[in-house]
Amino acid sequence: MKKAIILLGCPESPSQTPLALYASNKLTGMGYQVTVASTPSAKKLLDVSDPEEHYVKNKTDIESCLDGLEEGDYDLLIGFVAKDAAVSYFVTFYHILNTKSLALVFHRDQEKLDDFENSVRESTQATIASARAYHNPTPLRVRLDRTLDKLIGSGPKQDKPDMDEQGDS
Amino acid sequence: MFCLDTYLRESEDYEIHMTRSGFKDCARFIEKNAPEVVHVKPGEKIVGARIIGIPPVPIGINEEKGTIILPYTKPCYGTATVEIPVPVEEREKIRAVGID
Repeated sequence: MKKAIILLGCPESPSQTPLALYASNKLTGMGYQVTVASTPSAKKLLDVSDPEEHYVKNKTDIESCLDGLEEGDYDLLIGFVAKDAAVSYFVTFYHILNTKSLALVFHRDQEKLDDFENSVRESTQATIASARAYHNPTPLRVRLDRTLDKLIGSGPKQDKPDMDEQGDS
Repeated sequence: MFCLDTYLRESEDYEIHMTRSGFKDCARFIEKNAPEVVHVKPGEKIVGARIIGIPPVPIGINEEKGTIILPYTKPCYGTATVEIPVPVEEREKIRAVGID
């Protein structure tokens, strides 16, 4: 079975946790064994949101995961990039794993969004899905669906109507 | 073996030049202020810790003071620039993994 890792940074943005559950569910449906590597606070949000681990079965601490990480450990890297530190973590995981990668770049501020996107583009060959998003996960969810289907190929149909796609602040 | 995380927890003999900054600002600080700069790949193990950042990641070496200056990133706090004393063999190891 193919393995995917999802990186969660600081859970400051309310969009991150629901999107992580959504992405994990989607990847599981595409046949991946999914691991979420996160900060302790992001993990607590996942624990409470998914108490019976229907959506995320494997969780690990992002720093200890990085410490033991080797090329070949995962077939797909997906990173939530909403802070400068998250850019650094994503780029570092990318260069160690050297595998198919997708950066989900989001921020409420357009200037920061552009800056994070440029940093990822200049230092990796990862696919990028980006959107202005903060409270509303839909803009990034729509781009995640489109990009994952393009990157991996269509899995079981899970797309919902593209309602409320406008960014928020 | 020298371990950066343990060292920062257990010692007070280090200097933080920048804190809660962006990686690029910290990298610029190292490039500008370190007498010698070695560039390494992100993920390289430096003083027992994976170096986190955007390539090429600069590590400053001050042979006279016996210190190195490196970017130190935590997910919620951004990047700091930390200067720590390290044994000569650790400084040699950094030069050995340099990509310059």
